[in-house]
Amino acid sequence: MRRFLLSLTALMALSACADPIEKDEASDENQAAELPDKDPFPSTYVRYPSQGVAITGATILTGTGQIIEGGTVVLADGRIAAVGTAEDVDVPDGTRTIDASGKFVTPGIIDIHSHLGVYPAPSVRSTSDGNEATSPNTAGVWAEHSVWPQDPGFSRALAGGVTSLMILPGSANLFGGRTITLKNVPARTVQDMKFPGAPYGLKMACGENPKRVYSSSGPATRMGNFEGYREGWIAAKDYAKKWEDYEKKIADGEEADAPGRDLKLETLAAALAGDIIVNMHCYRADEMVQVIDMSEEFGYKVSTFHHAIEAYKVADILAEEEICAAVWADWWGFKLEAYDSVRENAAMISAVENGCAIIHSDSDLGIQRLNQEAAKAMADGQKFGIDITPEQAITWITSNPAKGMGIYDQTGSLEEGKMADVVIWSGDPFSVYAQAEQVFVDGALLYDRANPELSPRSDFELGQTGQGPTGGAGK
Amino acid sequence: MKYLIRTLAAALTAFSAPALAQTYAITNGHLMVTGEAENPQEIVNGTIIVRDGRIIAVGENITVPENAEVFDAGGMPVTPGLFSPYSGLALEEISLDQESNDRSVSDSHFAASLRAADAINPDSTVIPVSRAGGVTRAFTSINAGSSQFAGCGALIVLDASLDPVIKACAAHVANLGYAGARRAGDNRAASIAKFRRALRDAEDYAIDPYSYNQRPLEGRLNADDAAALGPVILGEVPVIIQAQSAADILRTIDLADEFSLNLVLMGGAEAYRVAEELAAADIPVIMNPMINLPYLYEQMGATLLAPGLLEEAGVKVAFSDGDTHNVRLIPQLAGNAVANGMSHQAALAAITAVPAMIFGVDDSHGTLSPGKVADIVVWDGDPLEVTSRPRLVMIDGEAKSLKNRQSALAERYRNLERGDLPRAYQGR
Repeated sequence: MRRFLLSLTALMALSACADPIEKDEASDENQAAELPDKDPFPSTYVRYPSQGVAITGATILTGTGQIIEGGTVVLADGRIAAVGTAEDVDVPDGTRTIDASGKFVTPGIIDIHSHLGVYPAPSVRSTSDGNEATSPNTAGVWAEHSVWPQDPGFSRALAGGVTSLMILPGSANLFGGRTITLKNVPARTVQDMKFPGAPYGLKMACGENPKRVYSSSGPATRMGNFEGYREGWIAAKDYAKKWEDYEKKIADGEEADAPGRDLKLETLAAALAGDIIVNMHCYRADEMVQVIDMSEEFGYKVSTFHHAIEAYKVADILAEEEICAAVWADWWGFKLEAYDSVRENAAMISAVENGCAIIHSDSDLGIQRLNQEAAKAMADGQKFGIDITPEQAITWITSNPAKGMGIYDQTGSLEEGKMADVVIWSGDPFSVYAQAEQVFVDGALLYDRANPELSPRSDFELGQTGQGPTGGAGK
Repeated sequence: MKYLIRTLAAALTAFSAPALAQTYAITNGHLMVTGEAENPQEIVNGTIIVRDGRIIAVGENITVPENAEVFDAGGMPVTPGLFSPYSGLALEEISLDQESNDRSVSDSHFAASLRAADAINPDSTVIPVSRAGGVTRAFTSINAGSSQFAGCGALIVLDASLDPVIKACAAHVANLGYAGARRAGDNRAASIAKFRRALRDAEDYAIDPYSYNQRPLEGRLNADDAAALGPVILGEVPVIIQAQSAADILRTIDLADEFSLNLVLMGGAEAYRVAEELAAADIPVIMNPMINLPYLYEQMGATLLAPGLLEEAGVKVAFSDGDTHNVRLIPQLAGNAVANGMSHQAALAAITAVPAMIFGVDDSHGTLSPGKVADIVVWDGDPLEVTSRPRLVMIDGEAKSLKNRQSALAERYRNLERGDLPRAYQGR
């Protein structure tokens, strides 16, 4: 109970928008309404110890659209203490220095679309925990309850510079369930990986997948999909109202019984309230615009369209609505709604004023080289005549996903005071030959390509054949 | 015999000169993968002369014929056309759309007797999309259904011709390791037994087709499948067999030895552990160099270092991730192999010369050397770099269009402002 109160307080402190439920409770503790715990599986992540370090001489891509040649980044107490040119940054005496001349430094890479842990390696029946494909609305499932922290994929992603990632339920369902945002640190429990204070996300899916999976019981059509979403939102509105009424009565000193809890509707109501970020898998341009209308009908906001193959067709509308489009550089053709792919997609999204392009992986191989995926998309944009610089393209895999995940105040760029999630690359990260040499998570060096001792290996891999050349980086 | 004649005819058509006898010169190029496929070289500043669809000269000090159309490479890399060693090109338009996907097969009575060439769709939009990425030739094959055998895959050219097949039966495809076991009662021993039975059936059929047909079918291949495997047991047609673990690869090598197969290993996550054996038997490996996760227990040793280790041991390596739509990304596979220890030359050969050797067409394809078919790509940077794209793609001595359905879509939506007519009237 004590933990419940503490975590609720913590959540309130983090909550950006005022929540009437919490406000009422705070105002009248004697007759506190019995409210569901909003954080029953709280993060127990604690950053690993680190020494202050100054990385000097590097080309820094800050993630804020800036490039600094011969720059210095100072990490102290798990945070970024300073970023700038050598002249601008004072390195405190006695700080350990890493000479990164000729190298590049970027924020830790962030993947907004991963199924690590829920579809881990080994990929066998007993580990297939990513898609609760039993009903078109499974908004009540939480991805964190499927995440297997021993998935070797986490360590491979770390070797690719990934420091934060969002794990999503699969896309079989209209409402797939809650996403979870993790710090990419090896851990015993998923709670030990949970990004402190990161909001939850809701995974939804457009188009082919739900209607294919449920073709016999419905939805069997796209119009059936929309009926399903809207019925879900209508029920969530009713549910939210019941709780509001209950709160109000308690606040007014009246007797009232708490409404029955419904995990599905709890999640959907929180999405309507803006406490949970809506992530919608949606390939086709026309469907995205219909979803935008639906979000206006019910008063919620879509944060990011994922797998947005046709985002380039409606890039202006997405920018106007301040919706990010998370895309692959070049995947296509695996189904009809993925047919109209263009390699310039990310660049075309970016080229519109206020456009928000994100490169995501959706793949345990792609997540290891999101820098290469961004590089391809950048190059294709440039060859198409769109002026995209490396300092802009790096935002596709750092600050933009951080914004989409609601963690940009904490990470996603190299700015003073932010988490010291930092990658030192052997060279230009937009080259196929570049390697993440050192990866810092909250200031702690958790991957060092030159040091086998700093290449994590999951429990699953211990004692297995092929140990020698296998570990984190493939070393 | 009819089959042989037809193959020969197809080959002759494909290798004959184009209608226009045009001479081209590609000058000032950094020529990569020149000389012999076994030992590719490079020429830092060279010229290539092309006539009648063939390369007629390659070198540093080549005189450009007066009538030649000249393409100045501007010092940029020039490579042979890329050659995918494994794909479903021209078989698979939309993977989940059964009507447009002849790469997958379900419920067929036939397996080894299936021929990819019989299902090729020359109008697949994947062809021009892949060509724009520098791919000019590809092996394409059906994926095995419930049988260990997938049938015979074809070699195709990525031009715009109605008959792109240049070798109708270039290699059979089969599965051992878990891919075989799950098609044989989920047991590796059962898989080996079933595979061995199939090859013996092929032998029996080859020796005496009449009595083969008289015997009961229980547990045996049907006559068509047994006949189709004839060229495999004679070693005339290579067989690509998937196996991943070191132990399964050794067993596959043993089977190949027992039946004198012309074996090509596919997958080979742990091939580097038996690299000496593969090198000694001159068995090439088609692999995805990016696999470094234990998706299955048989891939426990998967590592990014594999291509470099195989190269060091003298094993021929070719790259494919098995995908159809992004065959154009084989240079990225090769680039990652280089980033993890393989030489640039071997990695580039893995998507040009080595596939040509695997399918026995290295006399005419796979390197930039005189006498070979003029499949040439001029790049705007290091061909293995993720930011590089082709500037010129030549097939059979003709410059090909780099336009495709995707480039048309991008053009159509370049400007999002509302026009005087709907977008459907633009860029048709």
